[in-house]
Amino acid sequence: MIDPSIVPIVDPNPLPAPYWLFKLLLLVTFTLHIIAMNFMLGGAFLAVVARFTSKGKEFRNRIFLDLAKKVPVFLAATITIGIAPLLFVQAIYGQYFYTSTILIAWPWFLILVLLCIAYYGFYYVVYNGQRRPGPAGIVLLVSLTFVLIVGFIQSNNVTLMQTPAHWAAKYFASPTGWSNNLSDPTLIPRYLHFVTSAIAVGGMLLVLLALARWKSDREYATYLFQYGGKSFMYATMAQFIIGTWFLVTIPRNLRMIFMGDNPLASVLFIIGILGTIAAIFLMSNAIRKQNIRVAAYGVSGLLAVVIITMIIMRDILRDAYLEPYFHPHQFAVKTQWAVLPVFLVLFLAGVGLWLLMLKRYGLFSGNKPPLADTTPTANAAAETEVELVH
Amino acid sequence: MNYPIWDVSFGAGLLIALVAGLHVFVSHFAVGGGLFLVLTERKAIKNHDHALLNWLKAHTKFFVLLTVVYGAVSGVGIWFTIGLISPTATSDLIHIFVWGWAIEWVFFFVEITAALLYLAGWDKLSPKLHQWYGWIYFWAAFASLVVINGIITFMLTPGSWLDVHKFWIGFFNPTYWPSLFFRSAICIALAGIYALITASVLKDKDLKARIVRWGALWTIPSLLALIPFGYWYIREVPAALFLSARGLMPTATHYAFLAWSLLAVTFILMLLALFTPRRMHLVFALVIGLVALGAMDSFEFVREDVRKPFVIENYLYDNSLYAAAMPGDGGFTVDNLNTVGVLHSAAWIDQRTITAENQIAVGHEIFRVECQACHTANSYRGIHQLLEQRQWDPTTTRAMLSGLALMHNGVMPPFAGTDPERDALAAYLNTLQTITPTPATDGKLIYQNNCSMCHQDHPNDQFFTSIVTDPKAAADSFKDLTSIFPLMPDIKLNEPQRTALVQYLNTQRPPAQHAQNQPSPAAEGGK
Repeated sequence: MIDPSIVPIVDPNPLPAPYWLFKLLLLVTFTLHIIAMNFMLGGAFLAVVARFTSKGKEFRNRIFLDLAKKVPVFLAATITIGIAPLLFVQAIYGQYFYTSTILIAWPWFLILVLLCIAYYGFYYVVYNGQRRPGPAGIVLLVSLTFVLIVGFIQSNNVTLMQTPAHWAAKYFASPTGWSNNLSDPTLIPRYLHFVTSAIAVGGMLLVLLALARWKSDREYATYLFQYGGKSFMYATMAQFIIGTWFLVTIPRNLRMIFMGDNPLASVLFIIGILGTIAAIFLMSNAIRKQNIRVAAYGVSGLLAVVIITMIIMRDILRDAYLEPYFHPHQFAVKTQWAVLPVFLVLFLAGVGLWLLMLKRYGLFSGNKPPLADTTPTANAAAETEVELVH
Repeated sequence: MNYPIWDVSFGAGLLIALVAGLHVFVSHFAVGGGLFLVLTERKAIKNHDHALLNWLKAHTKFFVLLTVVYGAVSGVGIWFTIGLISPTATSDLIHIFVWGWAIEWVFFFVEITAALLYLAGWDKLSPKLHQWYGWIYFWAAFASLVVINGIITFMLTPGSWLDVHKFWIGFFNPTYWPSLFFRSAICIALAGIYALITASVLKDKDLKARIVRWGALWTIPSLLALIPFGYWYIREVPAALFLSARGLMPTATHYAFLAWSLLAVTFILMLLALFTPRRMHLVFALVIGLVALGAMDSFEFVREDVRKPFVIENYLYDNSLYAAAMPGDGGFTVDNLNTVGVLHSAAWIDQRTITAENQIAVGHEIFRVECQACHTANSYRGIHQLLEQRQWDPTTTRAMLSGLALMHNGVMPPFAGTDPERDALAAYLNTLQTITPTPATDGKLIYQNNCSMCHQDHPNDQFFTSIVTDPKAAADSFKDLTSIFPLMPDIKLNEPQRTALVQYLNTQRPPAQHAQNQPSPAAEGGK
């Protein structure tokens, strides 16, 4: 073990709220971020697969277009929601987070460049997917590759952040920020664990799209259901292999927290595994019986439970890794009562306004195209085009 | 020292400048452009101007693709970059203002959603509802400026936060309001300028002219408003700090000049656009944009430069040392390092003792932890270039390191460390240059190389006012500079150099000064 003194000390400013509040906010916002990320990454992945297997299969092409349209929105959500956990992780794990990002500074910086290019690529596909499916497919593939690299850099950072013993050797070998964490045996399985879960959630996205079209376009919806449901099942089954691989690469003393050493982690581990098995069976059954509601609501619910357990397990594992260095009682706490309530009120108001925005747009009104049927004369721009034609 | 230093060969500061310089130009547009969208939509509908409305649809797409994608990613990018380059400052700012950032995030979330729905809603929503999204977008975007402005201005003028450490005191600091008005005017000005870009490619010349005139109406008054707001802003910055931009610090002074000049050029170009609106060409629109970008970034550079040597004024130096000792500072203060030494304080260095063999290597490590937040060896703010210009011998370099805090209106933190550590740093710095001996007779060169970092070519500077004019007495007084002023670096000039320096000094003195400093005949007689 390295001299713990190389772990930076926390700055002199006290935590402006109790530790548990930051931890709660971190976990809640990170969960939302991961869900958005899963929809984005899984959606993009399945869109690429659908595009390159669409020869002679019209529905595959439709899947490509339908998914591609949603990907930028999910990327916007991923980034926008992701800011919150990025903030809260720095509030409580700053010493570890800043140090590991500095060690991998260039790849970490590269995230911005890759994300920007991928984002514009996704938009290119939205605007050109129909007219130019060939180039659009390639652009989508490139964008997908870029976000996969972004994820890999994130995994490098997270694994490095929780292993301070590896820092000094990497830094003194080269302080230029070109390190990585490839030597960590958990890195690859951990990364694949995340990517595979994104593919499963991407499959669930197709099931949800099938639900939305169930009444209006049954044939396509049935195809979506099959395609998405099976993607979900196969990806989730693969998780048993990848998850086991991940588990065995974790150092034994830490692995044991899931096997009795830490009761909460162990219970969550069991719930996670049982939930996953149940989700596979439920999906399989729903596909066989063509019960879209069970697939969309039942499996989604189970999936949400599994994701939450995984996020909490991930957090417990991080704290176990950092146990020799990090203790919440190290923080001086001085709650900023003059501003914390302002945040909480604005947060609730913001969520309310956000929901109202979605509602007024018609996003909660089922399959109906939003407001287009209720305000036929409303759109001045559309009118313009009509008038210009006349 | 508490954190590892990311060794960016071409300059960490340059990287921040690149990321932030482009981001601010888009993020301010993101605020003003939102108001522009919704008011232009209203105007077009009121005037039944369908062509304008069609253009606005395309402009919305341009706006969203630029602000939601590049604006958002580069905004996170600034945060990524400062965390890599100034982790201590980032950590401080997070802990001081975490609820401010969190509030900004709420606005940001609302803003992005509203922007996407406003764009998607063009063909789907009633004008009233569509504008409702536009207004929500604008107010959320403006609110995020309202929040971030408090944190940015805090870094320059923390005011009485330094004593009380209270959130709102730091947030509503002395430059908060002038900065908010100043930046709001920039936002509105940019809305008009960006409109020219998308208007310039229109084939319909009447429509183009209408948009250019409408855009100019946004930009020209806002540019004029920047003058009083800028003046107000400057008045709220402590005068001693702003002196840096008025001659005492070359870069801040150049950028201040550039900021005002490019602002004037933007104004003139916008007037040209206003008078020849039908001829607006894409290249011309882009030129206006680039000049405005130059003006804006120059302003940001001035703000950053006058703050030097601090990241948070009077609290945290650029090299992550705290200005004063406080509980929890980890010993990362200048005073403590002067006593204990860098090698026994910094966590992220490889050397713990100095020997004759490793002196230069230790010096390099000290350079990394103390200087590299702003300097590089050979590139951006390169020490190599500075030393080649100054031609300091090892003794002078060592002496100069003691006077860092006096240079260019105090733009640099003092050297922190023990004497042997300072020697090691000087030894390393000397490997970065090749010395060509200065001609002893060139007094001007001697002045430029040894004195001009702290003194000014100005009759009121102490260099001219406090040195006696009698050549021999003056030359003698230069033997021991610390006897003139204790904080001066103890530079040792030889006899011919001292004489040449005095000769130069006397040619630069105003005539009155000569008379004043001449020993009086009575005194002469007395002797």
